[in-house]
Parts: sequence; structure tokens; C-alpha cells
Amino acid sequence: MNAKASKTHVTCIEPAYYEAITEAIRKEAVQILKDETVVGVVGYLPGRRKGTASPALVTTAEEAGKLIFSPACVNNLSVYLTKAKKGVLKKGKVGIVAKGCDMRALAGLITESQLQREELFIIGVVCPGVYGFGAERTGTLTEANIARKCRECSVHLPDGADVAAGTHTELADLTPEEAEEMARIEAMPQAERWAFWKEHFSRCIRCMACRQVCPFCYCEQCLCDKNRPQAVESSPRPAGNMAWHLVRAMHLAGRCGGCAECERVCPMDIPLNLLNRRMAKELKELYDFEAGLNPVEKGPLNQYKEDDDQSFIK
Amino acid sequence: MSRIGVFVCHCGENISRTVDVEQVAKAAGEIPGVAYSCDYKYMCSDPGQTLLKKAVAEHKLDGVLVAACSPRMHEKTFRKAAEAAGLNPYLCEMANIREHCSWVHEDRGMATAKAKDIVKLMVERVRKGKSLAPITVPVTKRALVIGGGIAGIQAALDIADAGHKVVLVERDPSIGGHMAQLSETFPTLDCSQCIMTPKMVDVANHPNITLFTYSEIEKVEGYIGNFQVTVKHKARSVDEKKCTGCGVCMTKCPKKKIPNEFDQGHGMRPAIYVPFPQAVPNTPVIDRENCTMFQSGKCGVCAKVCGPGAVDYEQKDTFTVEDVGAIVVATGFKLYTIDRKPEGSPIQGYGEFGYGTIPDIIDGMTFERLASASGPTGGKILRPSDGKEPKQVVFIQCVGSRAREKGISYCSKVCCMYTAKHTMLYHHKVHDGQAYVFFMDARTPGKGYDEFWRRAVEEEEAVYIRGMVSRMYQRGDKIVVMGSDIQVGTQVEIEADLVVLATAVQPQDGADLLAQKLGISYDKYNFYSEAHAKLKPVECATAGIYLAGACQGPKDIPDTVSQASAAAAKVMTLFAKDQLERDPVVAKVNEKYCVGCFACKKVCAYGAIEEKEIRDRQGNLVKKVAYVNPGVCGGCGTCQATCPSKSIELDGYTDEQIMAMIEAL
Repeated sequence: MNAKASKTHVTCIEPAYYEAITEAIRKEAVQILKDETVVGVVGYLPGRRKGTASPALVTTAEEAGKLIFSPACVNNLSVYLTKAKKGVLKKGKVGIVAKGCDMRALAGLITESQLQREELFIIGVVCPGVYGFGAERTGTLTEANIARKCRECSVHLPDGADVAAGTHTELADLTPEEAEEMARIEAMPQAERWAFWKEHFSRCIRCMACRQVCPFCYCEQCLCDKNRPQAVESSPRPAGNMAWHLVRAMHLAGRCGGCAECERVCPMDIPLNLLNRRMAKELKELYDFEAGLNPVEKGPLNQYKEDDDQSFIK
Repeated sequence: MSRIGVFVCHCGENISRTVDVEQVAKAAGEIPGVAYSCDYKYMCSDPGQTLLKKAVAEHKLDGVLVAACSPRMHEKTFRKAAEAAGLNPYLCEMANIREHCSWVHEDRGMATAKAKDIVKLMVERVRKGKSLAPITVPVTKRALVIGGGIAGIQAALDIADAGHKVVLVERDPSIGGHMAQLSETFPTLDCSQCIMTPKMVDVANHPNITLFTYSEIEKVEGYIGNFQVTVKHKARSVDEKKCTGCGVCMTKCPKKKIPNEFDQGHGMRPAIYVPFPQAVPNTPVIDRENCTMFQSGKCGVCAKVCGPGAVDYEQKDTFTVEDVGAIVVATGFKLYTIDRKPEGSPIQGYGEFGYGTIPDIIDGMTFERLASASGPTGGKILRPSDGKEPKQVVFIQCVGSRAREKGISYCSKVCCMYTAKHTMLYHHKVHDGQAYVFFMDARTPGKGYDEFWRRAVEEEEAVYIRGMVSRMYQRGDKIVVMGSDIQVGTQVEIEADLVVLATAVQPQDGADLLAQKLGISYDKYNFYSEAHAKLKPVECATAGIYLAGACQGPKDIPDTVSQASAAAAKVMTLFAKDQLERDPVVAKVNEKYCVGCFACKKVCAYGAIEEKEIRDRQGNLVKKVAYVNPGVCGGCGTCQATCPSKSIELDGYTDEQIMAMIEAL
């Protein structure tokens, strides 16, 4: 860990900051591929359009020299270790570029036996934030174009990574938009809150992008695709939509690391991360637990303690 | 299309009083797939079962639903009948329209409608049910008995005499329990120690009994026939193997003024001690909290004087794992804390009685010690404050017991008899003394019990006053007892030299924690619950665990011994077979879809889930999935509820069955 350097607050983050990280990632990735520490590195390559980035798996030192990091590197790459590129892990140890929020997903996946820490080489990124959806995606990162989740980021430092790239820099004085929105919804009378979510869920087209992008939705057969018995109606109608989103929120309780990828990929702009955060808040209040900060043996919802509150039984 | 038979039971009038059983049967007959339905007065009776068997044959039924009582009661009965008729027994289910319906509702119309609904959804469960085969598991023919009072001793001796190995675990340094503390026993007034100590010696000498005193149950794993119990052996600070029991350490110990628990704090003992002279084993233990060596590091007298070098200040708690097939719980009772409200308890104290502040107000067990030849007064009745012989003694019954407003509504069962006994013992020892008893009523059912009570009243001159005491206070060296005599309708005031309170019998401290370790149920007072109040009085609802003595409810010695022998008989029945058949209601994993998150393994209370590697033909690891050991699975279904991809299911309670049941409503 070399990222414990002092924290600096700035009003905008220049491209040079990301270039420095890019250099560090390339150096590390080239090295571990050359000395065969890993069989591949999951990272970001430049996208076809200027200023964009796309997830990639590189297996040669030459390719690794093209890896980048920029505010456009929004994706949580840990999902590639559970779904599309899962086979990679069978070939040997894999390197992965991980922001703080991606690290939380990795810790959760280790907790859930989906990954072994020994089979990963984590290149941590000291990430000051990424672009928000629909924002201006070029130039410096400012309060105007930073993603909503990054405004309240508490994991700038990728704790537990093998190496970390970057120095700790944060944008100063960001308004916590998401927390304010949560407070607003919580203050609503129950009926109004119900109506709020009902409206949002009614627009869901059940494209399942939220499921596909989520590192924790790694089941080979989703409960929602089961038809014998059918637990959740599969066509996009209000009742089934409601059931799906509630099941999803419940399944993520105590697990979601807050990468907000579900919300980013939702074509219908359903504020899914509000639900995730609300569940996380419950877990924090009930069990003083925060998901994914470190791999744990058992999450609070998977264990029984003799001193658990049992007043509801008698 | 299925051919299900529905049999609706009247249960005498238990169901038919509130539920229109004919209508329920008729409605059941109209459910698609139900080929036959009827109602009958007693389905569990022989003609009832014959009716079921005949119907299976005549109507070619492929599933049976009996709408009657709880499956806990008669599921086995009807599954056997179904099996005799040629059906797989697990295609026979019960709809509980008694406990879940007729007993808890009053409105006949509504209850009938609910019964119809229960039948409707259970028909769906039968329809989606599968044929299952019972699981056989081996039985470890070794029993664990928890508690070394008379109940535990009796159960251990009976099982051991039948030729099986027994592990007896006692929390205190000696076995004997409360019975060893008693002076004489009702209704024959024979000396308690005289009949108890030989049994204690029998336990110590029995080749089949392993005795662990000063030990506690740490952890219980496994299931009927195959428990693994971790026993914590508390550090005695004396090596049991080396100690010869000579007792020199006790006589030389410089710290001798520690209140002796065995004498209810009225005698004194040293810091290294055996609880009482007849203790089994006769190995002392160091009370570390009161030992100078442990508190200040300076003393070590006992180690110096010990010839065999048995004293070991460095001794640590040790743990052993005992494999047993059955467990008898015999943890006994304690007496109600009467002076104040125990912390965190709904039970109120009796502050108005002055117990704890007035030294001459004592409880029944302390009186036993005063009357005992081995007690602190050598068997003389002398009051604690000034050692004088009390000439007027007031006994108060039902202190704590039968006092709903104080938090305990049950009768402690033994107090009427032991108070009568106390008045007699007192009369025998203090000829010019007078005993008064405040009582609500005298409850003396039992062989020779009423005769005993009448003797106390008619021949031994005890004055019984029907009424309760409201207040007691010290005046000079007397205790003023203010009460009422409801038969005369006056207030009574007695100047007593000594007051004895017959306080309520309560389960031992920590009874609830032990129950949680064992996985057995307990009532709101922490008494352990039997599987059936009448027909399964010694079995727990958890298979393989049995109850004996006052841990299940207040009991006198004959009842306790009977129950202990009954529990032993149940253990022997279990041990009579080499293999045990278990219900196949266990979880199964769909290996195709299991993603190996092992949430099921984390939540499994039985430790039944293991990790299984799936390999291809070349031996390469394809994936890891969950595997359920059917012998260990308790069938609780927690894994099923936890699995995010629904890849684990309980046979007999599959998601398909449960969803079909919900859909039916």
C-alpha cells in the first residue's frame, strides 16, 4: 500500500491525475504479465469514441501497455470474474483493476465463496470519481459531471489491494444528492412513498440489465427465471416488476457494495441505488454491518448469535 | 389427474363442535383431483383407519389427506395406515383443523370456512408430494445425562444397569443435587441422605458410568442417535487422579469463613472444599474467587500439605467431545429469589416479607439444613440470628407460587407436603414449640400424602391458618407476622421467633441457555417442554432428548424418580436397535444450479451441509456445490429460505408444494 499519502481537496481533477494512474496501472500490469504472476488482467482499454473506455481482458504485456484509467472507467470490473469471463479464472491467477467500490464487490464475492483472494492480483485505483450518466464526458472531472454515487464516496482508497495507483485526491464540498434524495423519500408518508416506487417500477421493461451488471447476481439460474414454481412473473407488468425489484433489493441486503452499476445501466432511469442504500442503512442500524469492507466469514443475515434479539419469538 | 382421498375427523366433538365437518368433507369432494371424501367421528381409531385403508383400495387413491389434529399427534398413525394400504407413507398428509382451527375459534361459520381453506391448500401439497423412502442412520449406544441430582442419578443408573455406557455431567463439584441437602423426606420421614448417598456411590462405582463433576455442557451438535457433545471440565485446581480425598488441605486452609452453599450459607467452609462430607467424588475443589493464593498469589498452604501433590494452581478448563446417541436432561430446580425483583425478570419479589433483611426469615431449604443431622446446627432447630431455639415458628406456603400478580401462576407442588413435614420435624425436636402454617389450601394427592398432612394437623399439633400474610417486621427479637384468617374472617398477628417461607420452585439458572444449546423448547418460566403433556411426558420435541425431574416442572422425589426411570426406558428403547429410521424430510441440492455461495452452509444449525467438488471425466474441477448429509439434516428448511437461486429444497416441503398451497388460497 502506497496510497496512505495525505489527502488533498481540489475543485477539479485534471486529466493529468488520471494519466498518472494510467501509467502506474500499465507498469504493474506489464510486470505481472511478464513475470507470469497472472494469466490475464481485467482492466479498461480506450473506447472507440474519444474520451470513452471499455472493459477488457488483456493477456499479453503488449496489450497491457494500452490499458487506461480515466473518469470514463465507470464499470465495476468484478462482474467479469463471475459471469462473462469466469472461465479465465480456471486458467490461473487473474489481475484486476479495481476502484474502491469495485473492491467492496470483490470482498463480498470472496465472502460468498465465489472468488479466492489467492487467485486475484488486485491493482487498486485511488479513484477521485468517475463521470456521471448523461454528463459531459470530456475534460476535467468537476462537481458538474461527477457521478452521483461518487459524491458520497467513502472508499477512495482501495483497501486490501496488492498495489495501489494514485494519490489521495478528492473534489471538495460536494452536495450529497443521493442522501438528500433518500431523506426526502423517507420523509414521505407511506402511501406517497409507495406511489413513488410504484411509478418507478411500472416503467421497468424487465431488460434485466440491472441483474446482468451486478457482481452479486451470479446465480446460474436466477430465481426470477424459474417457472416451476414461478416466484416472479416474468413479463413486464406492474405486479411482477414490483416483485422483481423487491426480491432484488432483499437479495442484495447486506451484500451490495454500492457501485450503483444497476442504476447506471437502467434504461428507464429507475433510481435503484436508493433501494440498495436503504437496505445498507438497515443493516448498519440493526447489526452495525457494512457490506464488503473486508471479506467476512458470515454476513449478519447468515448467522445466529445467542445474544440476538429474540423478543419477537416469545 | 390425481386421485386424492380426504378424510375429515370429528375428533369426538373437539372439531365437530365448532366446525361443520360434513360441509368440509363435501367441499373437499368438489376440489378437482379429489376422488373421495368423507367424515368420521374418530379417524385415529381402528375403524377410522380401516375406513381409510378400504377407501384407498376401492377408489384407487394416489394420495391421502386426513383433516384432523396436529401432525405431531397422529401423522405417524395415518402414514402407517396409508402404507398398509399400499401407498407411499409420505403421500399421506394431515390438515390440522383442530389446534389451528376448532380449538381457537368460536364462530362456527367462520371456523368451517377456515377448515375448508386449510383442506384446500393441503390437498395441493398432497398433489405435489413425492414418494420418499425413510433414511436409516446408525445409533451410538451411549447416553449423556445432564444433571447429577436424584433424577440424573436414577436415569444414569437405570441406563447403565441395562448394559449401556452413560456419561453423567454435573455442574457442581459433587453429585447429589437438592436431595442430598434434605433432612428427612415425606411421607415416611426417612433420612434423605441415608437413601441418597448409596445411590451416589453406586454411580461412582458403576463400570458403565463416566462421571464428570464440576463440568458443563459447552456445545451440542448432531441428532438423534449421533450427538457430539462438547463438555467443559472446569478447572478444579485439584488433580482428581492424584487426590486421595484425605481432607488435610481442607483442615489446613487458612481461609475458613466462607458461607457454605450446601448449608444455604448458614455453615462455613474453607476455600478448598468438598460441598459436604458424603460428596461424590470426594475430591476437593478450590473456590478461586475466595482463595488467597488466586487472589493475591501468597499462600499455597494446601499444595504444601498435600501428600500426593494433587493441588494444581495452574490447572485450566479442558474440553472433551462425547459421542452419544441419546440425552437425558435432568437439571432440576432452584428456589424462588424472594427478597427482591430479579433483574430483567417479569417476576416480582416479596420485599414486604423482609426476607434478606430479617435474618430469622428463612426459606424451606434452609430449614431442611437446620433440621438435618449433618447441617450447620447438627440437627438442632436454632434460629440464625442468635442461635436460640425458636418457640413459635410460622410457616408460609405459596410464597411466589400461585401468585399471578407476582409473575408465577403455577403450583410448586411440593410445598404443602414439605411444610407439613417441617412442622412435624419441628415438633419432634422442640417439644414445647408451636408451629403455625399460613396456607391457601392443602394439596396432598399422592400415596400416603393426605394421611401425612392430617397427622401434622391432628397429631403433631400444627395450627393451620387459611389465609395469606401481608407483612412481616422485626419487633425486639420477635418477627411480627400480620396475616388474615379467612375462615374466621379476622386479622391475625403472631409474634414468631422464626419464619419459614415455602418459596416457589423455579428452573435452574441458565436453563434457557442450555435449552438453546440442545435445541429443545421451554415455556415462559424456562421449564423444559415435553413433546405431549399426556402421552409423551418424558420426550422432548427434539428427537433423542428426554426429560427427567423438576427441570420439566415442579416434582417431588417419587415423581422425579419415576420420570427418570421412564426417560431411561425411552433411551433403552432407542438403543434396542442398531439402525434408526428417520423421516426423509431433508434438504436436497439441485447441483446443476447451485453456484456454491454456501449461504446454506453458513445458516445450517445442524452442520449438515458440506462442500462437494464436481469434476469432469478428466478430473478437472468444474465447480463446488453444496451437499446435504441426510443423516445430519434436521429438516428445518432454513437453507431453503436462504438460497438465493432456490437450488436447495426440503423434501416434503418443496417450493412447488408451498407455492401451490399459496395459490390455492
